Amino acid sequence: MALTRKTRIHVWFRLLLLQGSWNFERLQGLGFFYALLPALKKLYRRNQLVTIGREYLGYFNTHPYLAPLVAGAVLKLEEERAAHQDLQVTIDDFKEMVAAPYAAIGDALFWGGLRPLAAGVALFFAAKGILWAPLIFLLFYNLVPLVFRLCGFVYGYRQGIRSVEFIQRRCLPDWAIHTKEAAVVVLGGFSAFLVFQHLQHDEMVSWVGLLTLIPMILLGLIARKGVSTLMLTLITAIVIILLSMFWTDVTELLVI
Amino acid sequence: MNLSDLFLGALIALVCGLDRTAILQVMISRPIVAAPLVAWILGEPMIGLQIGVMVELLWLARLPVGAAIPPDDTQVAIAGSVLAISLGRVFVVQGGELLLLCLLVAIPLGKVGQYFDRFARQYNVCLLKRAESCLEKKNIFFAEMQHLRGLLSFSLAAVGTYVVILIGGFFLIPLLWPLVHEPLLNSSHLLQLALPLVGVAVILGTINVSRALTLFCASFGMAFLLMWLV
Repeated sequence: MALTRKTRIHVWFRLLLLQGSWNFERLQGLGFFYALLPALKKLYRRNQLVTIGREYLGYFNTHPYLAPLVAGAVLKLEEERAAHQDLQVTIDDFKEMVAAPYAAIGDALFWGGLRPLAAGVALFFAAKGILWAPLIFLLFYNLVPLVFRLCGFVYGYRQGIRSVEFIQRRCLPDWAIHTKEAAVVVLGGFSAFLVFQHLQHDEMVSWVGLLTLIPMILLGLIARKGVSTLMLTLITAIVIILLSMFWTDVTELLVI
Repeated sequence: MNLSDLFLGALIALVCGLDRTAILQVMISRPIVAAPLVAWILGEPMIGLQIGVMVELLWLARLPVGAAIPPDDTQVAIAGSVLAISLGRVFVVQGGELLLLCLLVAIPLGKVGQYFDRFARQYNVCLLKRAESCLEKKNIFFAEMQHLRGLLSFSLAAVGTYVVILIGGFFLIPLLWPLVHEPLLNSSHLLQLALPLVGVAVILGTINVSRALTLFCASFGMAFLLMWLV
């Protein structure tokens, strides 16, 4: 029995709530069960559903934007299981096989690359006082995840276990690195823009701005050693406030 | 101080707090969106935009990977904006000094968000157990409902963090304001520059890219020289 389009759409919408009951024991397990339940109800009788449901309440964790790809493939496998067809791999094994690698790819691509990139672009507008900056961020950021959520689900359902090709063909780990590199470049430009704006506002000589790289690199190295952002922020703020007591004299030397 | 402003702030804190982990994840929870949104609703969008710029990059390098819980920058941005707008109307001050003080108080208080989030996720283990026991009793509807109850625990964590930052802010800021007003007057512009740069530095130090420093310095230098010479 094939699942109707309506049921699949219902599952897709429920996947937007995947992490609603995220917990330390089985992470997204309950959420995945909740998302797939409308489809499972169509495929199994009540008694079977209880047994199948227990399987779904096990450990599950992947990236929320790539979960539709897993869910689509799992629905296909469930259809085959309900029709008593031989499965090439069990559903539990399939979930276990793909969830962690997808999570790693998604974390690197979306959280580690796309998010800083989109933030960097939007911050240019925000620093100029343009109130559309949040919308620019939302549009720029959400385009790719939306495509992954929609196409991933459709592709996963069509291809079943072969849906892993969706990730392989698109060389997503390489894209994650390129996106991170682009984010670093954008943030470099944004930092220069902020510093230049500041120097112009205070009518200070411009070359001083290049010296900003030194404390930034130092802070970066300290952060790499494991010092928390909170600590770095508070120390920087306290140092600046203390220095500000003598600041007028120092800046006078650097005024154009 | 207007109670309806605080309530509206709580509503935004709830919606954005849920977007952070539990639902959608369309990133309305990012400070660059959440702070201007709440400030726009309260009638001072530029304050929110300024706070968004300063907070957005601070914890961007902390990824919500696996069981890791990053500090709650969403509630820092929202509560910081509400504090700055509400107290700005009380003290009747112009300029960014009060805004900075609100933010500097909200940032450490935001640490509470991590604890609340951890409690929520621990509590959700109970929901999982309940769902299992519901399934044992063949009560599928109640097993399904346990998942939605998880949204409640995340909501409470979000609003709880917002309330703690607000209470802390309303208590501490009036005490600190007379003491730090003068130094902040001299340093506010530099602080507004320093906070985003600290965030960029942390990203630079923790991002997993082999040529990050080279790319950053080249981009910084090129952009700076262009702005200087053109």
